[in-house]
Amino acid sequence: MILERLFQARWQRWLERRIPPASRVRLDNRRVFILPSRVGLAFGGALILMLLAAINYQNSLAYGLTFLLGSVFIVTILHTYRNLAGLGLQAAGGAPVFLGEQACLRVRLQSEAREHRSVALGWPPQPLQWFDVAAQGACDCELSLPTRRRGWLRPGRLRVESCFPLGLLRAWSWVDLELKVLVYPKPIPGDLPLSSGHSDEEEEGQAARGRGVDDFQGLRDFQPGDSRRRLHWKAFSKGQGLLVKDFAALTGRDLCLDFEALGGDVEQRLSLLCHWVLELSRGERPFALRLPDAQLPADIGDAHRDACLRRLALYGLVE
Amino acid sequence: MTPTPGIPRAALSWLLVAQALVIVPHLGHLPIWIVLLWLGCALWRIQIFRMRAAYPNALVKIVLMLIAGFAVYQSRGRLIGLDAGVVLLVAAFILKLVEMRSRRDALVLIFLGFFVVVTAYLFETGPGIALFSLLPVAVLLAAMIGLQSEGQAAKPWPTLRLAGGIMLQALPLMLLLFVFFPRMGPLWSLPTPSDRGKTGLSESMSPNDIAELSRSDELVFRATFAGTPPPRAELYWRAMTLEHFDGRRWSQAATPASRVDWQKRGEPLRYSVLMQPSEQAWLFALDVAESDEAGVYRMSDYRLQRERPIDRPLLYDVISWPEAVRDSSLSPWQLRRALQLPSQGEARSRLWAQQLRKAYPEPEALVNEVLANFNREPFVYTLRPPVLGENAIDTFLFDTRRGFCAHYAGAMVFVLRAAGIPARVVAGYQGGEPGPGARTVQVRQFDAHAWVEYWHPQRGWISVDPTFQVAPERIELGLEAAVAEEQSFLEDSPFSPLRYRQYGWLNQLRLALDELDHGWQNWVLNYQATQQQGLFERLLGKDFQWRLVLALLIGGGLFLGALALLLLKPWRDGLDPAQRLHAQFERILARQGLRRLPGEGARSFADRAARELPAQAAQIRAFSGLYQAQCYAGRSVAPSVLRHSLKRLRRALPWRLPGRGGK
Repeated sequence: MILERLFQARWQRWLERRIPPASRVRLDNRRVFILPSRVGLAFGGALILMLLAAINYQNSLAYGLTFLLGSVFIVTILHTYRNLAGLGLQAAGGAPVFLGEQACLRVRLQSEAREHRSVALGWPPQPLQWFDVAAQGACDCELSLPTRRRGWLRPGRLRVESCFPLGLLRAWSWVDLELKVLVYPKPIPGDLPLSSGHSDEEEEGQAARGRGVDDFQGLRDFQPGDSRRRLHWKAFSKGQGLLVKDFAALTGRDLCLDFEALGGDVEQRLSLLCHWVLELSRGERPFALRLPDAQLPADIGDAHRDACLRRLALYGLVE
Repeated sequence: MTPTPGIPRAALSWLLVAQALVIVPHLGHLPIWIVLLWLGCALWRIQIFRMRAAYPNALVKIVLMLIAGFAVYQSRGRLIGLDAGVVLLVAAFILKLVEMRSRRDALVLIFLGFFVVVTAYLFETGPGIALFSLLPVAVLLAAMIGLQSEGQAAKPWPTLRLAGGIMLQALPLMLLLFVFFPRMGPLWSLPTPSDRGKTGLSESMSPNDIAELSRSDELVFRATFAGTPPPRAELYWRAMTLEHFDGRRWSQAATPASRVDWQKRGEPLRYSVLMQPSEQAWLFALDVAESDEAGVYRMSDYRLQRERPIDRPLLYDVISWPEAVRDSSLSPWQLRRALQLPSQGEARSRLWAQQLRKAYPEPEALVNEVLANFNREPFVYTLRPPVLGENAIDTFLFDTRRGFCAHYAGAMVFVLRAAGIPARVVAGYQGGEPGPGARTVQVRQFDAHAWVEYWHPQRGWISVDPTFQVAPERIELGLEAAVAEEQSFLEDSPFSPLRYRQYGWLNQLRLALDELDHGWQNWVLNYQATQQQGLFERLLGKDFQWRLVLALLIGGGLFLGALALLLLKPWRDGLDPAQRLHAQFERILARQGLRRLPGEGARSFADRAARELPAQAAQIRAFSGLYQAQCYAGRSVAPSVLRHSLKRLRRALPWRLPGRGGK
């Protein structure tokens, strides 16, 4: 066990030196490893049987076929290596996901000159996914990965392998494209004790239930960052320009999602906060977020929502 | 690990083709139901692929296997042995097609296919089958490639082309291995195909057997002499002696490999014989032959015999002493055997022998009188003798007087023995056609011959040929001349090229094909331990072991290096074509004094260049736009378009702007 771990550590260090992490990697002879696959070993066994038949029957043609297939095996080493060599891999980002969903990481495969057939990408023990890259073309691959905990999901070194053309040999590499994707906490619905956002002393323990219809105050000009849901489409269709409906209640009484005000363990609280961040954003209601290590002032809009979710995802974790 | 468990279309179609190609060379010795089985299974598999039929379930599979096994037993009489084994292998190869679901099953099928190709070589070894089998091998490899391709993406033809390309690239290495891989003797003995119907001499002879042989133009052996071959009339190739006569047939008596008593005399003849498989153990040689090949013995009747039957072409060296004296004395049991006759029958011949014995007390004179009698009386040499009933020798000698070598030799030995002279029939071949190169002689089945040797108390065994007295042209010119009048030469094979020897070009073609066949046998089929050793010594000198290893390493290394260069083109590495062209673009602008600054993006560099060179701005922007599209927008622009755009820029620019000249 210890030996194995020691070996693993050495192997990782060696890989680190051999294939340093980079967002763009080109596979070459330093980075491609190649060994016979299981099929290749079986093929070797079959060749030995054929050789025995050739020797015992003193049959030159059987010798010939055995040697031909043996040479094919050797020549295939070059072909299999060639199928990976020159392939460029580039990290192409990935959208954040909620815990429990499949994370989707994008990798762009680029061919320099030749075609790359049946290239498999993935993180074992997850099943690999297979792609073909046309000559001088590119292929955008979406690799999915299950999420197990919130925070940055760093899947580690990506395995790239191919057995093309004959399946007798497997060429592979482990590349670190510095791929990462943010995993938000899993949103769990529940009741939320609200606190007012304006640093007021009086904290009304009031349950926020449903979306109350607030007083319509008037229209103002559209500014970037305003939600499209509040656009006054009727005015727009009359040619009065882009106007936004302004609600008095939203400016007057801001909500504060406070971590400290909740019960339960950290993850439960984060999940609940996550649910309410989504819920309030969907309802176009401004809110503030207060976490023990950070405070986000009340705001509204997608950028605010994402910032809050990011805070929730990374709460308590070293970034 | 394979992409998806199913079998892609390209792989399946090539597997179906491969099966047909693998089975074709076996058709000659497979029962006909195999073809029907294949058709049925192929159809079934296609229907499964089109979702119109189901895979067989376990019960159906077991029933199919049992039926196949039973059918093999029915047509071969047993389930073990090579012939039955091959049929079983082919049947398994076919049945596997139907139950093939996963890629792993398909691989098993492909490996089985390679084995079936190998078994075809046990039945036939000509250059034709060797070339033909490249086809099934290429298709099997194409099926392997198809299995590695994702889903339906792989198209059949490119797959086959790739397989053919890989095979072509493997060919030099294969030749290297073929020549240099050390050959050894069989590790253990294996069953050999038994249904190869071989024509040739057998251990007993009745006249009909020789008549049978004279209808075949099959090659028996080829002898290559160190010097000029002796004249045709002296080429008596001994295969064996027939000493026992039962009244109808002459057959071989048990001959122990005892020490024989003979003296070398005169000039020896040195030659090598490349013999076709005969499934018999005896070799062919001129008298008196010596051979120091391993496993070859000289028996007490001066024939050469090998330990094992000759089941593949065999090359052996012989030294013959034509004037040697054989057996100056015979032991009583040898005498008894050389005088053996049936106790009754052939009364007229026995009577004639008694008369001869009285008239010629000297054995030599008696023999001469018998030969002279064949010459004097109206004997006719014919391949269509009348049927002889009881007392065949009497009828032949005194009534019909029509026959060929076997009749004459048998009758003469009978008469000599009846007259008290030890004698026996020698069976073998006589003559042979001069082959290409003037030093070779090709002997075919129709050269089969039987002659006589008798024992003289002072001079040992002496060969005489009664046929020569009747038809000297048979000995001096060959069978074709001897039977020219009755047109019976190869009358059952109207298309044999040997019948058309009088047409010059046809004969040339035939001789060229013979030469090819000879070379094939000599250099390919016969390339085993002894020949390899000889070649190594000629090529690499006496102590060749380490030089051999060196030659293999250097040869293989050079070949693989060259192939790697060809496949990987490392000189084109590093940059893709667009980037190479962009580097060229930068060089062109550098000549105008415009250098790309460190950290300057391709686009801003192009913008700067366009500002600096307003006259060429259009061309610069055109190239830059294409380059951006290729590299960043993910649009694929053919390199030729980029190259063309660069060429236009170069034309638009003066060679070097005055006053700005870069270095």
